[in-house]
Amino acid sequence: MKTPDIFYVEDDTDYAFFMQSAVQEVKDTLNLTIVEDGKEALTKLQSFVDSKVKPKLILLDLNLPGLSGLDLLKFIKDIPYLKSIPVILFSTSDNPDDVKASIEFGANAYLAKPNGYENLVKCLHSVHDFWFNQHLRLN
Amino acid sequence: MNNFSVDLTNCDKEPIHIPGKVQSHGFLLAIDKTNYSISYASENAETFIGTAVSNILDQPVASLTGFIKQQEPDFNLEDLLKLGMIRKSFDAISPLPVEINNKAYYLIINQSATNWLLEFEPLTLQYDIQSSIGRSASSMLQGKSVPALLKAGAAEVKRLIEYDRVMIYKFLEDGHGEVVAEEKEKHLEPFFGLHYPASDIPKQARELYKLNLTRLIADVNTIDAPILTFRENTPLDLTNSSLRAVSPIHIQYLKNMGVHSSFSISLISNGELWGLIACHNYSPKFIDYKAREGSKLIGEILSSALEFRQEEEDSEIVEGFKDTAIVLAEHLSRDQYLVDALTGHSTTILNATQGAGVAIIFENKLKTIGNTPEDKDIWELAEWLKNNSDESIYYTHRLSEIFNPAKMYKQVASGILVGSISKSPDEIIIWFKPEQISKVNWAGNPDKAAAPSEGLLQLSPRKSFEIWSQQVNNTSEKWLPEEITSVLRIREIVVAHINKKANEIRLLNEKLQTAYEELDTFSYTISHDLRTPLTSIKTYAELMLKNKSIDENGQKMLARILTGADKMNFLIKEILNLARVGRLEINFERVNMTSLINEVTSEVLTAYKADKAELILGQLPDVKGDKTMLAQVFTNLISNAVKYSSAAQKPRIEITATENNSEIVYAVKDNGIGIDNRYYDRVFELFKRMDNVKEIEGTGVGLAIVKRIVERHSGRVWFESKLNGGSTFYVAFKN
Repeated sequence: MKTPDIFYVEDDTDYAFFMQSAVQEVKDTLNLTIVEDGKEALTKLQSFVDSKVKPKLILLDLNLPGLSGLDLLKFIKDIPYLKSIPVILFSTSDNPDDVKASIEFGANAYLAKPNGYENLVKCLHSVHDFWFNQHLRLN
Repeated sequence: MNNFSVDLTNCDKEPIHIPGKVQSHGFLLAIDKTNYSISYASENAETFIGTAVSNILDQPVASLTGFIKQQEPDFNLEDLLKLGMIRKSFDAISPLPVEINNKAYYLIINQSATNWLLEFEPLTLQYDIQSSIGRSASSMLQGKSVPALLKAGAAEVKRLIEYDRVMIYKFLEDGHGEVVAEEKEKHLEPFFGLHYPASDIPKQARELYKLNLTRLIADVNTIDAPILTFRENTPLDLTNSSLRAVSPIHIQYLKNMGVHSSFSISLISNGELWGLIACHNYSPKFIDYKAREGSKLIGEILSSALEFRQEEEDSEIVEGFKDTAIVLAEHLSRDQYLVDALTGHSTTILNATQGAGVAIIFENKLKTIGNTPEDKDIWELAEWLKNNSDESIYYTHRLSEIFNPAKMYKQVASGILVGSISKSPDEIIIWFKPEQISKVNWAGNPDKAAAPSEGLLQLSPRKSFEIWSQQVNNTSEKWLPEEITSVLRIREIVVAHINKKANEIRLLNEKLQTAYEELDTFSYTISHDLRTPLTSIKTYAELMLKNKSIDENGQKMLARILTGADKMNFLIKEILNLARVGRLEINFERVNMTSLINEVTSEVLTAYKADKAELILGQLPDVKGDKTMLAQVFTNLISNAVKYSSAAQKPRIEITATENNSEIVYAVKDNGIGIDNRYYDRVFELFKRMDNVKEIEGTGVGLAIVKRIVERHSGRVWFESKLNGGSTFYVAFKN
């Protein structure tokens, strides 16, 4: 199984589409795996554990049907094999309560979904620069 | 026999029913019921029967037969007494005409414990009085009102006994008396309307008036005859005697008035002494027994008529009070404002009592009707009441003696009756009654020399009036139980009304509160949910713009879609902010305003590219508040200042603060386009934008957010502005 660079959970197919497009624009070699709901995400995460492959970065939408982004975050941080993967909560909400909760549950960052495509691309550039270059250097 | 000495201080204790003396126009014998012997005799009997009293005392009653002749031949006193005993009454026997030494007398027999009282008095009336009494009664009863009835009663008694003055004297609640009707000879000074202190007719005298309905003092200048007996320490009870001697105090009282003969008839209403018909003659004038009995009958007729008329008038008053309550309840249910309902129609709360004025204090406003103290005095009184009475009803008829400042207006408010009308002790109705003395007319000339003011001589009508005046100084008429009941009734109606209103408002408030919370949640959710599809619209438009195959026209349209989406996004964000202000908890901390304002201004100036604007910062003291929210407040205010002054030649924004004990007031001043003051109230309303700012970007949410945040900080926000003359917005925070 090919290791994804970024594992992204997003129920909004439009946004998933934008993300796919924006990620390619940032770096066309970046590999993005997207699942649409929490249940599917759990299966995928379990398969990471079983096959001993792990993505370099996990993006979680906060508001998901069924299991929420926070539930997934907890799950990830409870599994020793996964817990070292950087997790970014990604949401339309910029409610401080959501931000606070995410950080408390162990999220490495919280990103409010940028307004518009150009902003999204800019945002992903920053994410890429930090988590894929600088971050790796730190490691 | 009886050594009780009398002076003014023990007037109330003098045993006047056992004076041991009789008036000397007649004589008295007492017959022991057990053995028919003469047990007591007045000393003056000798002048009538011609033999010394010592000769007849302890002799059998039969021994009198020689002295006293009756029209019927075989007159026997002992048989007469036995007959009376069998009948249990001497009513049919008295008065018995007899003859002593060829003079006509009446014998009147009454009971006195173990004795019979035999009283002999001159028979003077030569004609039958019976028929004229009937006429008197019927003409008297033509009086429709109580005053008319009394006036007619006095006239009829005067006609019957031909005394110089006949007064009807009414006992008021506290025992003092008032002359309520008078018939007199023209040359006499009127006593009508005069008041007398209760001490003028002491309590035990009033008790006797109830037992013995008429009382004649034939001549104040004759010397009373002592009653002689061989029985020691058992004075004869003269309660039922008509010859009973008069208290020296009363004799002096009459003498002071120049009265020689006095006659009184008791008026009894509902078993109580209602008053007296008091008759004075300024020369000695005896009244024949039959005329006295006739007067007594008139008194009894008058009493029962009074009882009836008074009840009628009392029930009219009570009905009037009840009607007032009903009418006021109707007004309350119909009118919008409570005070208007209670004071604005022809029937007002003034009609709830017999008071002369009324004041209502409700929602910090005072309204008065009728004779009341001045407003400032009423406010002061209300303050005093608040601290001194926690009852729902408070009343007094001597206010100035309890509350010193009331001395200033005792003429109008010696009596107050206060009813609270809400839970707040500030909301009350006060009824006022004037000082009694100010109501009384002094009929005579008060400067005319009165009797010498020493000892017993000080008693005179004028002196009595003065004594009474002193007693009633500072007092009003008492509040009647009917008035208190009426006020309680009104109070209940008003309180129920206020509670109903308060309940309605509370329910409305709760509903509003819920609606408000729902609205916050709703705006939050809806904004949130709107943003997701909006983001999609915008992003797709951006992606399509990247597509080089779309022509110029298509590109333009896509650009319009982007602009629209951005506007909408901004608006949603603002609403979200507003909703959040209501939802978030305030995190109070000391906020460094210098750094906050500096940050905000540099952000704002950059955002609006307002390089040419001049910024003046004054002292910026720290404020206690939520840092994020304060930043929102100043971002909005400063953004406005920058935006609306951008067209000025030299835009200038001043941010200053002043501090006093209770508040820190921040002012954000610009020299921009200003606000038309006509729209003052609309400035802080949501989505309200003034006509002159249509060209300037904005949502109409900013100031609504400012207001909401400031209010959540328990602060105040307001502004001063002139169209085209700049605006200054003030925000005051609690220090």
